[in-house]
Amino acid sequence: MVRFENVGMRYGSGPEVLRDVSFSLEQGSFTFLTGLSGAGKTTLLKLIYVAEPPSRGLISLFGTELATARRKDLPAIRRRIGVVFQDFRLIDHLSAFDNVALPLRLAGKKVSDFSHDVRELLSWVGLGERMHARPATLSGGEQQRIAIARAVVARPDLLIADEPTGNVDPEMGARLLRLIAELNRLGTTVLVATHDRALVEATRGREMRLIDGQLVQMRPTK
Amino acid sequence: MIQFFGGERATYLLPRDKGAAPLDFVIAVMAFLAALSLGASLVASRAAHSWQSGLSDHITVQVMPPDDGDVRAGLENETQAALSVLHATPGIAHAAPLSDAEINALVEPWIGEDGAVSGIPLPKLIDAVITPGEDVDVARLAARLKQSAPHSSVDDHRRWIARLRGLADAVRFSAYGILLLIAGATAAAVSFATRAGLDAHHEMVALLHQMGALPGFIARAVEWHYFISALLAAALGTVSAGLFFLGAGGLETFGVEAVPFLPPLSLRWDEIPWLLAVPVAASLIAWATARISVLMVVKAIY
Repeated sequence: MVRFENVGMRYGSGPEVLRDVSFSLEQGSFTFLTGLSGAGKTTLLKLIYVAEPPSRGLISLFGTELATARRKDLPAIRRRIGVVFQDFRLIDHLSAFDNVALPLRLAGKKVSDFSHDVRELLSWVGLGERMHARPATLSGGEQQRIAIARAVVARPDLLIADEPTGNVDPEMGARLLRLIAELNRLGTTVLVATHDRALVEATRGREMRLIDGQLVQMRPTK
Repeated sequence: MIQFFGGERATYLLPRDKGAAPLDFVIAVMAFLAALSLGASLVASRAAHSWQSGLSDHITVQVMPPDDGDVRAGLENETQAALSVLHATPGIAHAAPLSDAEINALVEPWIGEDGAVSGIPLPKLIDAVITPGEDVDVARLAARLKQSAPHSSVDDHRRWIARLRGLADAVRFSAYGILLLIAGATAAAVSFATRAGLDAHHEMVALLHQMGALPGFIARAVEWHYFISALLAAALGTVSAGLFFLGAGGLETFGVEAVPFLPPLSLRWDEIPWLLAVPVAASLIAWATARISVLMVVKAIY
């Protein structure tokens, strides 16, 4: 599903923020990415969701070697990945409904085909009554829930979440994690970057730990 | 709920920018100026054609009063002789002397309007019209006229036509030059406005790209937005220019007299459609600029 071989990453002529990272994520696996701020977690996620090319090393996604993939093949790969960005990256002038529906529209589906699913998902994350609200009128926690709903709505093959429960209360955090776990149970490979030790220890899966840009630990959780 | 896709297309993915009004105003003003200069070039072109055709098929024969004898009788005799020659000349469709009233009207700006000139013998003028498509040998005609009316001379307006043609060409090419400059400035303004708007939406473009949207999809989401905005703004400017030309045509109704020899500033109805080129060109420039800009932005992203 995801394979890294001796991947290194530097921005411009700066120092390497990732060094010799090698790992693989099996299909249907649930993995936490942990590490202190500045350890390179967000950069690693960017490489996986094909936002940046690595400075060196090989990355393979869904059996495709990115270094040799044609540029026109990348959008199809990106559409198989759901991403919860740390800063949410919601579109301000669209309603909660339209933000969540965006991946489905990009996939060419009709409103009549997905309207029910989107409403149900918004209800699941506690925003059934606010589906017409714009992001600016919602709290940080509510925006985060929309971001998660948008990432999972198209049932991606790979879900990447950067601190998905950072802005919500523990009860809602647990509820969101159940949503992600349910998606994982249906076959989606999940990678969650988090600082939340309790979340890691309470969930069955694996933990990858980054220190100063190097992958130092790979262990099962729970 | 915002139905931003307009069916299944991403036509209105972009919001109407709050800061777009000044840019729309710039586009409207540039379109107004472009339409004005286009209209001016049409007026100049029409005037040049009118001046040329108005003079090129006419010949004026001037018969001067004789120096001695019965001046009036001599003048009348030579005028009739010249008319006979003209009527007998192949290619001359019509020839008639100007009346005293018409001649007085011609000289009135220089020597006054009352009967003060009635005692002065004025030259006789004969206006001859050449049959369309016929050619008249003016030199031979002048020689034959000299034999019958020794005090006659022929003016085929060639000198005037050349000067008018030069003036009309200067006006016309000046208008074309101004039109080109304004069209260039309009294109630059539309392009600048489009790029400025796109800068504000860079994050959204990057997000759509990240979510796997194809470059063509993202471009379509953006380009129609700018196409329609520019079309509406430029249409407003063009309609204003059209009203200006219509208003200029109606000035005589309010007692503003037309200047002799200068064409009316109004456009004919069959010339009005040319103005439609302005909003069409402005919106196409905006469309192309937006599309190229988006594709370049997307290309710059991994």
